[in-house]
Amino acid sequence: MSTPTITPYRSAQRPGRDDFPHLLRAEWTKFRSVRGWWIAMIAAALLTALAVVAIASAANGKQNPGAHPTVAIGPGGEAVTDSFDFARQPMTGNGSITARVTSLADGELPGQGAGSSTRTAQPWAKAGIMIKASTTAGSAYAAVMVTPGHGVRMQWNFTHDLAGLPGTPSASSPRWLRLTRSGGTVTGYDSTDGTHWTQIGTAALAGLPSTAQAGLFAASPQYVLGAQGFANNNNQPFYDTRVTAHADHVSLVGARAGAAWTVGHIGFGTGPAQPANVNGVPPVTRHCGPNGHHCKGVASPPGFKFTAAGGRFTLSASGGDIAPYVADLDPLGTVLKGSAVGLLAVIALGALFITAEYRRGLIRTTFAASPRRGRVLAAKAIVIGSVTFVAGLVGTAIAMLIAERKLHSGGWVSSAYPIWSLTSAHGLQIVVGTAGLLAVAAILALSAGAVLRRGAGAITAVVGLLIVPVILGVILPQTAAVWVLRLTPAAAFGLQEGTPRYPQVMHACLPYNGCFPIAPWNGFAVACVWALAALGLAAYVLRRRDA
Amino acid sequence: MTAIHAEWTKLRTVPSPGLLLLTMIVVTVGFSILEDVVQKCPTSCSYDTPKLSLTGILAGQALVAVLAALMITSEYGSGMIRITLTAVPRRLTALAAKAIVLTGLVLAAGVFAAAWSLIAGRYILPGNGFTGAHGSELLSLSAGPTLRAAAGSVLYLALIGLFSLGLATAVRDSGASIALLIGLIYLVPLIVQLGVLDPRWERHLEQWSPMNAGMAIQATRDLRSLPIGPWPGLGVLALWAAGALLLGGLVLRLRDA
Repeated sequence: MSTPTITPYRSAQRPGRDDFPHLLRAEWTKFRSVRGWWIAMIAAALLTALAVVAIASAANGKQNPGAHPTVAIGPGGEAVTDSFDFARQPMTGNGSITARVTSLADGELPGQGAGSSTRTAQPWAKAGIMIKASTTAGSAYAAVMVTPGHGVRMQWNFTHDLAGLPGTPSASSPRWLRLTRSGGTVTGYDSTDGTHWTQIGTAALAGLPSTAQAGLFAASPQYVLGAQGFANNNNQPFYDTRVTAHADHVSLVGARAGAAWTVGHIGFGTGPAQPANVNGVPPVTRHCGPNGHHCKGVASPPGFKFTAAGGRFTLSASGGDIAPYVADLDPLGTVLKGSAVGLLAVIALGALFITAEYRRGLIRTTFAASPRRGRVLAAKAIVIGSVTFVAGLVGTAIAMLIAERKLHSGGWVSSAYPIWSLTSAHGLQIVVGTAGLLAVAAILALSAGAVLRRGAGAITAVVGLLIVPVILGVILPQTAAVWVLRLTPAAAFGLQEGTPRYPQVMHACLPYNGCFPIAPWNGFAVACVWALAALGLAAYVLRRRDA
Repeated sequence: MTAIHAEWTKLRTVPSPGLLLLTMIVVTVGFSILEDVVQKCPTSCSYDTPKLSLTGILAGQALVAVLAALMITSEYGSGMIRITLTAVPRRLTALAAKAIVLTGLVLAAGVFAAAWSLIAGRYILPGNGFTGAHGSELLSLSAGPTLRAAAGSVLYLALIGLFSLGLATAVRDSGASIALLIGLIYLVPLIVQLGVLDPRWERHLEQWSPMNAGMAIQATRDLRSLPIGPWPGLGVLALWAAGALLLGGLVLRLRDA
C-alpha cells in the first residue's frame, strides 16, 4: 500500500510583487471599487460647479455701484485710472524731453481731521516727464518719474513699471530724467549728473501719433489706510495727499521753438459710480505764455500749481493717479468660494480613505500585504491627491466658464472685472490653483485621518485649519485676520482671487473684501508645507503605533 | 426618564464629549479674548461691545455641532445604535432623550463660555479705549441688551446642537454629517459677507441662514438696521433645529437601524 501524496494547493496566480507601482494600483483599486466614493468625487466636482454658478447668478452687479465703476480704458482694454496734472507741448516726430528734479515732497493734504500730526507720504505719488499720445484719458503714454517710496520709475501704458535709481531727489542729489522718442518706441533714462545716463527701459507704444504731447506731470493718489473692523467702524479708510516737486534744466527737443506750455488736468476721477455726475467731467485747461507768464485764467484744476519762472518749474498736485484700476470688490473670487462645497466633500473623502480601513479592520490586511507603512501612506496620498486634482480641474473649469459670463451679464463690467480664458495665465492660476487646493486638502485630511483614525475628528481638524480661517478672515479685525490668513493653509485660497493686483497701486488688501495678504502661489506653498508636515507626522505615527 | 439616564451614562463614561465641551469653552473664550485684544477704539467709536466680546461663539459653535453629530453617528459607526434601540424601542423617545441630555450639557458649558467671554471683555476692552468717554459702556449683565446677547448666545449654542443632532440622525455617517453641518452653518455667512450679491438676495440669506439669523441675538446697537431682529432671528434658528429634528425623527422611525 502506498500512501497517497497530498499536493498542497497552489494558486495559479503569480505572487504579487511588493513594489511601489503595485501598491499604487492596489490603492487605486480600493478607491475605484467603492461606488459611494467615486460617486461622491464626481458629485464634489459637479457641486462645486453648481454652487459657483448659483452664487454667480445671485451676484447681481446692477444694484452695486462697485460693479460698473467710472474708469478710463487703457491701450490694453483694461480699466485704468488716468487722472493727473500735465504741463505739455506738442512734440512732432522724433524728439526728447529732459528735466532735472531737485526736490520731491509728499504728505497728507491738511484739514482731514487726523489731529495735529501729519501722516505719511503716499509711496506712489509721482512727478516727472511724460510723452503721451493725446490728452484723452486712457491713451498710450510712457513716463519717467520720481516717487517718495520707490525711487525713479519708468512706467508706460499703465500696467508696465520698471525701477530706476533709488532714493528721493534733493538739491544736493538731484535726479535727471529723460525720455526719447524714436518712431513708435520711447526710451527712458535717468542720471545723477546729467552727463552719465542709464537706460531704464524701452516702451513700444502702439498707435503713437506723429504729434504727441510731451511735458511735466504730477499726481498724488490717496493714501489707503485700509481698515477692517468688527461689525461697524468709523475709521476713515484713506486720506488725500499732495505732492510738490521742483524741476529745472527742462529741455524739449522736437517741440516748436518758443511754444507755450498748456497746463491742465487730464482725465477724471475713477472709482465706484457715484450718484453725482462724476463721469465725463471735462478736462479743465488753461493757456499760459512761454515761461508761465500771462496765464489767462480759465478755471484752474483744484489744487494744481504749475509755475515756470527763470527756468525753474514747480509742480504741485493733489489726487489723481496713472495706473491700472484695482477694484475693491472681487466678484469672481467671491463666487469661487462656492468651491468650498466641493472642498468639504473632498475633505470627507480624504479622511475616509484611511479611517474606513481602520473601522473595518482592512488596515491590518493592507499592512500585512505591504509592511512598509510609509509607502502605503505615500501611495494613498498620490491616489487621493491625483483623483481630487482631476475632479477639481473639471469642476472649476466648468464653474469658471459659466460663472464669468453670468457675472458679466449680471452687470459686472468686463473692463474692471475681466473674463479670463482658461488658457490665460490668470485663468490657469484660478483653475489649476483651485484643483491643487482641493488635492492638498484631501492629502491633509488623509494625514489627519491616519493620525486620529476617526473620520469625525479628522474632518473637524481639517475644516478648522482650512475653512474656519477664511471665515475668521472676514470676521476678525484686520491685524488678526491678516495673520490668520498668512499662517494657516487657508492662505492658498488667494489663488482664487479674480482680479490681478499691481505692486504700483496702493490697495487696501482687506480680507473683508476677499483679498489675501500673501501672493497666491506663496499661499499655496504655505498649504503644501502644512500638508507635507501632516504627512510626515502621519508616517511617523503609523510606524510607531499598532494598527 | 431612564432613557435620559442611559444617554447621560453613555456620554459620561467616554472621554470625548467632555473634552469637546472643554475645547468649546477654551476656543470660545480664546477667540473672544483675541478679538478684545486686537480691537482698538482710539477716539470715539460705535462698536457693539457685547457682540464683540462674544465673538468666540462663532468658532465654538463648530465644536458643539461636532459633539451633537457624534452623539448619534458614533452609535451608527460602532453598531451601538442597535443596542440602544433594543433597550429603548420607542425610537422617538431615544432621540428625545439624546436631545434633552445634549441641551442640558451645551447650556451648562455655554454659560461658562459666554460668562468668561464677557468677563474678559469687561477687563480688556476699557484698556483699548472702549470707555464711557468714547461712547462705550462698561460691559455689565445688568444692562438688558447685554443680558439678552449673553443668554441668547447660550441658547444659540443649544439650538445649533439640536440642529446638528437632528441632521446627523438623518445622515447617520459622522464624516458626511459634520461636513454638511459645517457647510450649512458657515458657507452662507462667508458668501454674504463678501458683498457681491444682489442686495435683495443678501437680505433674504441673512434672514434665513441658520448662523446669520441666529447671531442677530448678539446685536445690541442699531437694531433697526438689522435684516432680522434678535428674537425673530433666534426663532429662525429654532425653526431650523425643529425641522432637522423632525427630519431626523422621521428617518429614525422609518428606516432600519
